[in-house]
Amino acid sequence: MEKKKVLVVDDSLSVARQLEKIISESGDLTCVGHAKNGAEAIKMNHTENPEIICMDMNMPGMDGLTALRTLSVMDKEVKVVMVTSLGGVGDKFTEALKLGAKNVISKPFEADNVLRILREL
Amino acid sequence: MAVKFFGQFLVEQNIVTSEELLNAVHLQEKNNLKFGEMAVSMGLVTPAEIGRAHNAQMSIDNKLGDLLIEMGFLTIVQLNDIITRQKNTHLYIGEALVQEGALTNDELQKHLDAFKADQAQYVTDGIELPISTSDNKVWEMTADLTYKMITRVLGLQFRPGKCAVSTVIAPNFMMAAMDLSGDVEARYMISVSKGLQSSIAKAILGEESVAAEPTEVLEDTVMEFVNIVCGNVAAKASQMGIIININPPVTIHPPLSGMQVPEGETALCFPIHIGDGDIMELYLLIK
Repeated sequence: MEKKKVLVVDDSLSVARQLEKIISESGDLTCVGHAKNGAEAIKMNHTENPEIICMDMNMPGMDGLTALRTLSVMDKEVKVVMVTSLGGVGDKFTEALKLGAKNVISKPFEADNVLRILREL
Repeated sequence: MAVKFFGQFLVEQNIVTSEELLNAVHLQEKNNLKFGEMAVSMGLVTPAEIGRAHNAQMSIDNKLGDLLIEMGFLTIVQLNDIITRQKNTHLYIGEALVQEGALTNDELQKHLDAFKADQAQYVTDGIELPISTSDNKVWEMTADLTYKMITRVLGLQFRPGKCAVSTVIAPNFMMAAMDLSGDVEARYMISVSKGLQSSIAKAILGEESVAAEPTEVLEDTVMEFVNIVCGNVAAKASQMGIIININPPVTIHPPLSGMQVPEGETALCFPIHIGDGDIMELYLLIK
Protein backbone atom coordinates (compact mmCIF):
# COMPACT_ATOMS: atom_id res chain seq x y z
CA MET A 1 0.00 0.00 0.00
CA GLU A 2 1.32 3.44 -0.91
CA LYS A 3 2.04 5.65 2.07
CA LYS A 4 0.10 8.91 2.46
CA LYS A 5 2.33 11.94 1.94
CA VAL A 6 2.38 14.50 4.76
CA LEU A 7 3.95 17.98 4.73
CA VAL A 8 4.90 19.45 8.13
CA VAL A 9 4.71 23.24 8.52
CA ASP A 10 6.11 24.74 11.73
CA ASP A 11 8.66 27.43 12.55
CA SER A 12 9.72 25.40 15.57
CA LEU A 13 12.49 22.92 14.76
CA SER A 14 11.60 20.80 17.76
CA VAL A 15 7.91 20.47 16.85
CA ALA A 16 8.82 19.65 13.25
CA ARG A 17 11.20 16.97 14.57
CA GLN A 18 8.48 15.50 16.81
CA LEU A 19 5.92 15.37 13.99
CA GLU A 20 8.38 13.98 11.44
CA LYS A 21 9.30 11.21 13.89
CA ILE A 22 5.65 10.31 14.58
CA ILE A 23 4.87 10.27 10.84
CA SER A 24 7.95 8.32 9.74
CA GLU A 25 7.43 5.66 12.46
CA SER A 26 3.72 5.24 11.60
CA GLY A 27 4.26 2.74 8.77
CA ASP A 28 1.44 4.12 6.62
CA LEU A 29 2.41 7.81 6.40
CA THR A 30 5.53 9.47 5.02
CA CYS A 31 6.86 12.99 5.62
CA VAL A 32 7.67 14.74 2.32
CA GLY A 33 9.22 17.84 3.85
CA HIS A 34 9.22 20.62 6.41
CA ALA A 35 8.17 24.21 5.66
CA LYS A 36 8.96 26.93 8.18
CA ASN A 37 6.08 29.32 7.44
CA GLY A 38 2.88 29.66 5.45
CA ALA A 39 4.52 30.97 2.28
CA GLU A 40 6.94 28.03 2.17
CA ALA A 41 4.01 25.68 2.77
CA ILE A 42 2.18 26.99 -0.29
CA LYS A 43 5.31 26.52 -2.43
CA MET A 44 6.00 23.04 -1.08
CA ASN A 45 2.37 22.01 -1.55
CA HIS A 46 2.94 22.70 -5.24
CA THR A 47 6.31 20.91 -5.51
CA GLU A 48 5.74 17.97 -3.11
CA ASN A 49 2.01 17.43 -3.73
CA PRO A 50 1.20 16.11 -0.21
CA GLU A 51 -2.18 14.57 0.64
CA ILE A 52 -2.09 16.00 4.17
CA ILE A 53 -0.57 19.18 5.62
CA CYS A 54 0.09 19.45 9.38
CA MET A 55 0.45 23.18 9.97
CA ASP A 56 1.18 25.42 12.95
CA MET A 57 -1.15 28.38 13.44
CA ASN A 58 1.21 30.93 15.00
CA MET A 59 4.31 31.49 12.81
CA PRO A 60 6.39 34.55 11.94
CA GLY A 61 5.93 35.72 8.34
CA MET A 62 2.82 34.20 6.79
CA ASP A 63 0.90 32.53 9.62
CA GLY A 64 -1.01 29.26 9.43
CA LEU A 65 -4.53 30.67 9.06
CA THR A 66 -3.48 32.93 6.17
CA ALA A 67 -1.82 29.98 4.43
CA LEU A 68 -4.89 27.82 5.11
CA ARG A 69 -7.11 30.46 3.47
CA THR A 70 -4.92 30.42 0.35
CA LEU A 71 -4.54 26.64 0.24
CA SER A 72 -8.28 26.03 0.53
CA VAL A 73 -8.79 28.14 -2.61
CA MET A 74 -5.77 26.86 -4.57
CA ASP A 75 -5.98 23.15 -3.78
CA LYS A 76 -9.31 21.48 -3.02
CA GLU A 77 -7.69 18.04 -2.60
CA VAL A 78 -5.13 18.61 0.14
CA LYS A 79 -6.37 18.03 3.69
CA VAL A 80 -5.06 20.50 6.25
CA VAL A 81 -4.84 19.78 9.98
CA MET A 82 -3.76 22.64 12.22
CA VAL A 83 -1.34 21.81 15.05
CA THR A 84 -1.30 24.56 17.65
CA SER A 85 -1.02 25.48 21.29
CA LEU A 86 -4.02 27.77 20.64
CA GLY A 87 -6.38 24.87 19.83
CA GLY A 88 -8.30 25.41 23.05
CA VAL A 89 -9.19 29.01 22.19
CA GLY A 90 -12.72 28.42 20.90
CA ASP A 91 -12.87 31.08 18.22
CA LYS A 92 -9.42 30.13 16.84
CA PHE A 93 -10.59 26.52 16.57
CA THR A 94 -13.83 27.35 14.76
CA GLU A 95 -12.06 29.91 12.55
CA ALA A 96 -9.68 27.18 11.39
CA LEU A 97 -12.58 24.83 10.61
CA LYS A 98 -14.45 27.60 8.78
CA LEU A 99 -11.37 28.22 6.63
CA GLY A 100 -11.32 24.55 5.65
CA ALA A 101 -9.11 22.77 8.21
CA LYS A 102 -10.20 19.17 8.76
CA ASN A 103 -9.23 19.16 12.41
CA VAL A 104 -7.14 20.97 15.00
CA ILE A 105 -4.59 19.17 17.17
CA SER A 106 -3.77 20.92 20.44
CA LYS A 107 -0.28 21.06 21.91
CA PRO A 108 0.96 19.28 23.89
CA PHE A 109 -0.01 16.32 21.70
CA GLU A 110 0.44 12.59 22.00
CA ALA A 111 1.64 10.45 19.08
CA ASP A 112 -1.42 8.16 19.23
CA ASN A 113 -3.80 11.09 19.00
CA VAL A 114 -1.92 12.68 16.07
CA LEU A 115 -1.89 9.39 14.13
CA ARG A 116 -5.57 8.68 14.83
CA ILE A 117 -6.56 12.10 13.51
CA LEU A 118 -4.33 11.85 10.41
CA ARG A 119 -5.59 8.34 9.61
CA GLU A 120 -9.23 9.39 9.95
CA LEU A 121 -8.86 11.96 7.14
CA MET B 1 -3.59 16.58 26.96
CA ALA B 2 -4.36 20.29 26.67
CA VAL B 3 -6.89 22.91 27.68
CA LYS B 4 -9.79 22.51 25.29
CA PHE B 5 -13.32 23.66 24.75
CA PHE B 6 -16.08 21.08 24.47
CA GLY B 7 -16.60 21.35 20.70
CA GLN B 8 -12.92 20.76 20.01
CA PHE B 9 -12.92 17.71 22.30
CA LEU B 10 -15.85 16.23 20.34
CA VAL B 11 -14.20 16.78 16.92
CA GLU B 12 -10.80 15.53 18.11
CA GLN B 13 -12.41 12.36 19.46
CA ASN B 14 -14.31 11.92 16.15
CA ILE B 15 -17.64 12.04 18.04
CA VAL B 16 -18.99 14.79 15.76
CA THR B 17 -17.65 15.93 12.38
CA SER B 18 -16.17 19.37 11.79
CA GLU B 19 -19.22 20.11 9.58
CA GLU B 20 -21.64 19.21 12.39
CA LEU B 21 -19.70 21.41 14.81
CA LEU B 22 -19.68 24.33 12.39
CA ASN B 23 -23.47 23.98 11.91
CA ALA B 24 -23.89 24.08 15.70
CA VAL B 25 -21.59 27.12 15.99
CA HIS B 26 -23.66 28.82 13.28
CA LEU B 27 -26.83 28.09 15.28
CA GLN B 28 -25.16 29.54 18.39
CA GLU B 29 -24.16 32.68 16.48
CA LYS B 30 -27.76 33.16 15.34
CA ASN B 31 -29.22 32.47 18.78
CA ASN B 32 -26.74 34.05 21.20
CA LEU B 33 -27.26 37.76 20.67
CA LYS B 34 -24.50 40.19 21.59
CA PHE B 35 -25.32 42.85 24.19
CA GLY B 36 -26.23 45.54 21.65
CA GLU B 37 -28.29 43.14 19.53
CA MET B 38 -30.20 41.93 22.59
CA ALA B 39 -30.83 45.52 23.77
CA VAL B 40 -32.29 46.38 20.34
CA SER B 41 -34.34 43.15 20.13
CA MET B 42 -35.87 43.96 23.55
CA GLY B 43 -36.81 47.41 22.24
CA LEU B 44 -34.76 49.20 24.91
CA VAL B 45 -32.45 51.11 22.56
CA THR B 46 -32.42 51.91 18.84
CA PRO B 47 -29.71 50.80 16.37
CA ALA B 48 -28.80 54.49 15.99
CA GLU B 49 -28.14 54.79 19.75
CA ILE B 50 -25.97 51.66 19.62
CA GLY B 51 -24.08 53.26 16.72
CA ARG B 52 -23.47 56.44 18.76
CA ALA B 53 -22.21 54.37 21.72
CA HIS B 54 -19.89 52.38 19.41
CA ASN B 55 -18.49 55.66 18.07
CA ALA B 56 -17.91 56.87 21.62
CA GLN B 57 -16.03 53.63 22.36
CA MET B 58 -13.34 54.73 19.90
CA SER B 59 -12.22 57.40 22.36
CA ILE B 60 -13.53 56.06 25.69
CA ASP B 61 -12.35 52.70 27.02
CA ASN B 62 -15.63 51.51 28.48
CA LYS B 63 -18.07 48.64 28.03
CA LEU B 64 -21.02 49.18 25.69
CA GLY B 65 -23.60 48.78 28.48
CA ASP B 66 -21.85 51.26 30.78
CA LEU B 67 -21.58 53.77 27.93
CA LEU B 68 -25.27 53.41 27.07
CA ILE B 69 -26.06 54.27 30.72
CA GLU B 70 -23.64 57.22 30.73
CA MET B 71 -25.22 58.52 27.52
CA GLY B 72 -28.69 58.25 29.04
CA PHE B 73 -29.97 55.56 26.64
CA LEU B 74 -30.34 52.82 29.29
CA THR B 75 -31.01 52.55 33.04
CA ILE B 76 -29.10 50.16 35.33
CA VAL B 77 -32.27 48.09 35.76
CA GLN B 78 -32.57 47.74 31.96
CA LEU B 79 -28.89 46.79 31.70
CA ASN B 80 -29.41 44.01 34.25
CA ASP B 81 -32.54 42.85 32.37
CA ILE B 82 -30.50 42.54 29.16
CA ILE B 83 -27.73 40.58 30.85
CA THR B 84 -30.28 38.27 32.48
CA ARG B 85 -32.02 37.68 29.13
CA GLN B 86 -28.63 36.91 27.53
CA LYS B 87 -27.89 34.33 30.24
CA ASN B 88 -31.34 32.75 30.14
CA THR B 89 -31.40 32.35 26.36
CA HIS B 90 -27.73 31.33 25.92
CA LEU B 91 -27.40 28.22 23.79
CA TYR B 92 -24.40 26.08 24.73
CA ILE B 93 -22.50 24.18 22.06
CA GLY B 94 -23.72 20.81 23.37
CA GLU B 95 -27.35 21.96 23.24
CA ALA B 96 -26.79 23.29 19.72
CA LEU B 97 -25.39 19.91 18.62
CA VAL B 98 -28.48 18.18 20.05
CA GLN B 99 -30.76 20.64 18.24
CA GLU B 100 -28.84 19.97 15.02
CA GLY B 101 -29.29 16.20 15.51
CA ALA B 102 -25.56 15.46 15.86
CA LEU B 103 -25.97 14.13 19.42
CA THR B 104 -28.79 12.80 21.59
CA ASN B 105 -29.30 14.20 25.11
CA ASP B 106 -27.93 10.97 26.61
CA GLU B 107 -24.85 11.09 24.39
CA LEU B 108 -24.34 14.75 25.29
CA GLN B 109 -24.33 13.96 29.02
CA LYS B 110 -21.96 11.02 28.56
CA HIS B 111 -19.47 13.06 26.51
CA LEU B 112 -19.77 16.07 28.85
CA ASP B 113 -18.78 13.82 31.76
CA ALA B 114 -15.78 12.49 29.78
CA PHE B 115 -14.80 16.04 28.83
CA LYS B 116 -14.97 17.26 32.43
CA ALA B 117 -12.81 14.34 33.55
CA ASP B 118 -10.27 15.16 30.79
CA GLN B 119 -10.12 18.83 31.77
CA ALA B 120 -10.14 18.28 35.56
CA GLN B 121 -6.33 18.17 35.45
CA TYR B 122 -6.33 21.83 34.40
CA VAL B 123 -8.51 23.19 37.21
CA THR B 124 -6.49 26.01 38.77
CA ASP B 125 -5.15 25.49 42.28
CA GLY B 126 -4.77 28.43 44.66
CA ILE B 127 -1.57 30.48 44.32
CA GLU B 128 -0.74 33.48 46.50
CA LEU B 129 0.47 36.60 44.75
CA PRO B 130 2.28 39.46 46.53
CA ILE B 131 0.34 42.07 44.54
CA SER B 132 -3.31 42.91 44.24
CA THR B 133 -4.61 43.73 40.76
CA SER B 134 -7.83 43.13 38.85
CA ASP B 135 -5.92 40.55 36.75
CA ASN B 136 -4.64 38.46 39.68
CA LYS B 137 -6.77 35.50 38.60
CA VAL B 138 -5.04 35.48 35.19
CA TRP B 139 -1.54 35.51 36.70
CA GLU B 140 -2.43 32.84 39.26
CA MET B 141 -3.79 30.66 36.45
CA THR B 142 -0.66 31.32 34.35
CA ALA B 143 1.67 30.18 37.14
CA ASP B 144 -0.53 27.20 37.91
CA LEU B 145 -0.65 26.03 34.28
CA THR B 146 3.14 26.40 34.11
CA TYR B 147 3.46 24.04 37.08
CA LYS B 148 1.02 21.58 35.53
CA MET B 149 2.89 21.57 32.20
CA ILE B 150 6.24 21.03 33.96
CA THR B 151 4.74 17.81 35.28
CA ARG B 152 2.82 16.72 32.18
CA VAL B 153 5.09 17.85 29.34
CA LEU B 154 8.52 17.78 30.94
CA GLY B 155 7.91 14.98 33.44
CA LEU B 156 9.97 16.83 36.09
CA GLN B 157 9.45 16.67 39.86
CA PHE B 158 9.45 20.14 41.40
CA ARG B 159 8.49 22.29 44.36
CA PRO B 160 7.10 25.80 43.72
CA GLY B 161 8.79 28.59 45.73
CA LYS B 162 7.08 31.69 47.11
CA CYS B 163 6.21 34.29 44.49
CA ALA B 164 7.86 37.69 45.00
CA VAL B 165 8.00 41.05 43.26
CA SER B 166 11.43 41.48 41.69
CA THR B 167 13.29 44.55 40.41
CA VAL B 168 15.96 42.53 38.59
CA ILE B 169 15.70 39.51 36.32
CA ALA B 170 18.40 37.23 37.72
CA PRO B 171 21.08 35.93 35.31
CA ASN B 172 20.84 32.36 34.07
CA PHE B 173 22.03 30.22 31.16
CA MET B 174 19.15 31.20 28.90
CA MET B 175 15.58 32.46 28.87
CA ALA B 176 12.66 31.99 26.51
CA ALA B 177 10.00 34.68 26.41
CA MET B 178 6.63 35.32 24.85
CA ASP B 179 4.65 38.56 24.74
CA LEU B 180 0.99 38.38 25.74
CA SER B 181 -1.42 41.03 24.51
CA GLY B 182 -5.16 41.66 24.41
CA ASP B 183 -7.08 42.18 27.66
CA VAL B 184 -3.77 41.89 29.54
CA GLU B 185 -0.29 43.06 28.53
CA ALA B 186 2.69 41.13 29.83
CA ARG B 187 5.84 39.23 28.94
CA TYR B 188 6.03 35.58 30.01
CA MET B 189 9.60 34.43 30.64
CA ILE B 190 11.13 31.11 31.67
CA SER B 191 14.74 31.13 32.88
CA VAL B 192 16.72 27.87 32.87
CA SER B 193 20.20 26.53 33.64
CA LYS B 194 22.18 24.55 31.05
CA GLY B 195 21.17 21.30 32.75
CA LEU B 196 17.50 22.21 32.72
CA GLN B 197 17.68 23.22 29.06
CA SER B 198 18.95 19.70 28.40
CA SER B 199 16.14 18.12 30.45
CA ILE B 200 13.54 20.17 28.55
CA ALA B 201 15.08 19.19 25.19
CA LYS B 202 15.02 15.49 26.11
CA ALA B 203 11.35 15.70 27.06
CA ILE B 204 10.22 17.75 24.06
CA LEU B 205 12.21 15.75 21.48
CA GLY B 206 11.51 12.41 23.17
CA GLU B 207 15.23 11.54 23.09
CA GLU B 208 17.36 9.92 25.79
CA SER B 209 20.41 12.03 24.88
CA VAL B 210 20.59 15.50 23.37
CA ALA B 211 24.38 15.92 23.69
CA ALA B 212 24.81 16.02 19.89
CA GLU B 213 21.95 18.46 19.25
CA PRO B 214 22.88 21.92 17.95
CA THR B 215 22.28 24.95 20.22
CA GLU B 216 19.53 26.12 17.87
CA VAL B 217 17.48 22.97 18.52
CA LEU B 218 18.12 23.00 22.29
CA GLU B 219 16.97 26.62 22.57
CA ASP B 220 13.99 25.89 20.34
CA THR B 221 12.73 23.25 22.76
CA VAL B 222 12.61 25.82 25.61
CA MET B 223 10.74 28.23 23.32
CA GLU B 224 8.35 25.42 22.42
CA PHE B 225 7.67 24.75 26.10
CA VAL B 226 6.87 28.46 26.55
CA ASN B 227 4.64 28.30 23.45
CA ILE B 228 2.72 25.30 24.82
CA VAL B 229 2.18 26.94 28.22
CA CYS B 230 1.13 30.32 26.80
CA GLY B 231 -1.23 28.77 24.22
CA ASN B 232 -2.95 26.87 27.00
CA VAL B 233 -3.01 30.01 29.15
CA ALA B 234 -4.79 31.79 26.26
CA ALA B 235 -7.28 28.89 26.05
CA LYS B 236 -7.95 28.91 29.79
CA ALA B 237 -8.28 32.72 29.73
CA SER B 238 -10.83 32.50 26.91
CA GLN B 239 -12.91 30.20 29.13
CA MET B 240 -12.75 33.01 31.75
CA GLY B 241 -13.96 35.54 29.14
CA ILE B 242 -10.52 37.15 28.80
CA ILE B 243 -8.81 37.58 25.44
CA ILE B 244 -5.08 36.85 25.35
CA ASN B 245 -3.14 36.89 22.09
CA ILE B 246 0.27 35.25 21.91
CA ASN B 247 3.24 36.17 19.75
CA PRO B 248 6.06 33.93 18.49
CA PRO B 249 8.53 33.09 21.31
CA VAL B 250 12.07 34.50 21.47
CA THR B 251 15.26 33.52 23.30
CA ILE B 252 17.17 35.84 25.61
CA HIS B 253 20.70 35.44 26.98
CA PRO B 254 20.70 37.62 30.09
CA PRO B 255 23.95 39.41 31.04
CA LEU B 256 25.80 38.20 34.18
CA SER B 257 24.53 41.25 36.05
CA GLY B 258 20.94 40.32 35.28
CA MET B 259 18.39 42.62 33.64
CA GLN B 260 16.63 45.58 35.23
CA VAL B 261 12.85 45.44 35.15
CA PRO B 262 11.70 48.31 32.89
CA GLU B 263 10.21 51.29 34.71
CA GLY B 264 6.45 51.13 35.03
CA GLU B 265 6.39 47.33 34.80
CA THR B 266 5.89 44.87 37.67
CA ALA B 267 7.92 41.68 37.64
CA LEU B 268 6.53 38.68 39.48
CA CYS B 269 9.14 35.97 40.06
CA PHE B 270 8.06 32.39 40.71
CA PRO B 271 11.06 30.22 41.72
CA ILE B 272 10.57 26.57 40.76
CA HIS B 273 12.84 24.10 42.59
CA ILE B 274 13.44 21.08 40.39
CA GLY B 275 14.10 17.66 41.94
CA ASP B 276 17.87 17.53 41.42
CA GLY B 277 18.56 20.91 43.06
CA ASP B 278 18.26 23.03 39.92
CA ILE B 279 16.13 26.19 39.82
CA MET B 280 13.88 27.28 37.01
CA GLU B 281 12.32 30.72 37.30
CA LEU B 282 9.09 31.97 35.83
CA TYR B 283 8.89 35.75 35.45
CA LEU B 284 5.76 37.66 34.55
CA LEU B 285 6.57 41.21 33.46
CA ILE B 286 3.23 42.93 33.79
CA LYS B 287 2.75 46.26 31.99
